[in-house]
Amino acid sequence: MTVSPEGLQEVRPLVLVRPTSTSAVQRAEQRDEANFPRPVRPVEPGKVRLGFVPEEWFQFLYPKTGVTGPYVLGLGLTTFLCSKEIYVMEHEYYTGISILLMVVYAVKKFGPVIGQTLDKKIEDIEQSWRDYREGSIIQVKESMEKEKEAQLSAKGQDMLFDAKRENVALQLEAAYRERLARVHSEVKKRLDYQLEVANVKTRLQQKHMVDWIVKNVKGSITPAQEAATLKQCMADLKALAPKA
Amino acid sequence: MMANLFSIFEPSSSIFNFSLNWISTLLGLMFIPYLYWASPSRWSLCWSEIIFTLHKEFKALLTPYSLGSTLFFVGLFSMILYNNFLGLLPYVFTSSSHMAMTLALSLPLWVTLMLSGWINHTQHMFAHLVPQGTPSILMPFMVLIETISNIIRPGTLAVRLAANMIAGHLLLTLLGNTGPSMSSSIILSMLIFSQILLLTLESAVAIIQSYVFAVLSTLYTGEIN
Repeated sequence: MTVSPEGLQEVRPLVLVRPTSTSAVQRAEQRDEANFPRPVRPVEPGKVRLGFVPEEWFQFLYPKTGVTGPYVLGLGLTTFLCSKEIYVMEHEYYTGISILLMVVYAVKKFGPVIGQTLDKKIEDIEQSWRDYREGSIIQVKESMEKEKEAQLSAKGQDMLFDAKRENVALQLEAAYRERLARVHSEVKKRLDYQLEVANVKTRLQQKHMVDWIVKNVKGSITPAQEAATLKQCMADLKALAPKA
Repeated sequence: MMANLFSIFEPSSSIFNFSLNWISTLLGLMFIPYLYWASPSRWSLCWSEIIFTLHKEFKALLTPYSLGSTLFFVGLFSMILYNNFLGLLPYVFTSSSHMAMTLALSLPLWVTLMLSGWINHTQHMFAHLVPQGTPSILMPFMVLIETISNIIRPGTLAVRLAANMIAGHLLLTLLGNTGPSMSSSIILSMLIFSQILLLTLESAVAIIQSYVFAVLSTLYTGEIN
């Protein structure tokens, strides 16, 4: 279980410190990484021997006393304390022994299992952070793609507008022409009417004139003329009859 | 050297008659993990799980009015737990075995609850004195009994904790005292074995007693609403 620094790296911004004091001490604008390194999270616990003595102490004593030095020191010191009765082995001592045995047993038996369970839980927590980060990245990428698509479709909108504009112009033209035609027909109707009226008037006049002429002519026919005409027609018919 | 059996409970290390033993009460602070890193360590995760479980337990017992007090009770639990548990280790003073400390925890708590309950919810507190479903004849006696049980609550809380700790430590000391005068190593190993058993019991008792203290305090808090 390691936390990869690349995974959780963040850019530390430069913090510019405005000098507010009048002292001669200059505060660095950037942290001195060599002398004051940033603390790194230790993943494994420090190395120990016998369960509680740090490895560093052994390394410290190695140049002077060799490999067995610290052990001899421990043994000698305890022997000295016990034999001189500086440390009295009374009831607390036996309690201490019992506790030591219990703790060693518990650590050896349950330690790995509990450690693995806890490590797994820690890994789950860290994984959830990583998942959140990855998920955010994926989401942002997807929204970038969608944004590009939206831009493309927005370009298509221009053509749509032109088509719509044309459509509207066509409709306007059609409406205009239809109205023109309507006006034309209306005017023609009016003119036809006038024409009809004039025709009717002429016809009536003609008819009246004809009737009047005929009436007058009929009236001017005297009976003597009528009889003479009839006689003449009879004679003509008789003359024609043998020929037919 | 022990003057008598109970001298193990005497605060003995002192500077100018100022007992320093009581500093062991604050020893538990050294064991509580601090979160410097965002990612928890094993112990810090363990501790978070424990107190979160406790918080859920206490939340179930408290009314919605007093949910924020889980912080206090979880803190109370951890303090008593560390005191009990670390007192089992050799040369660590068990401060929770003294009535001075346990009474100092339980009496102010109880007085607070009683005062706030009786002043603000007088009707409710009176109603609590008679449990549901008692026959009418028994009511006066019930009131008396409930009143007495209410009054002895701080005493019971304090004495329960102190007595349990004293009993455990006394047994351990008695067993351990026979150690220096032990001749054969077989009996010595039996002694160690019995001490191990007793220590297992005592660790359990330490945890249980702290839990009981905290839970009862929670219940008493939940009762006043």
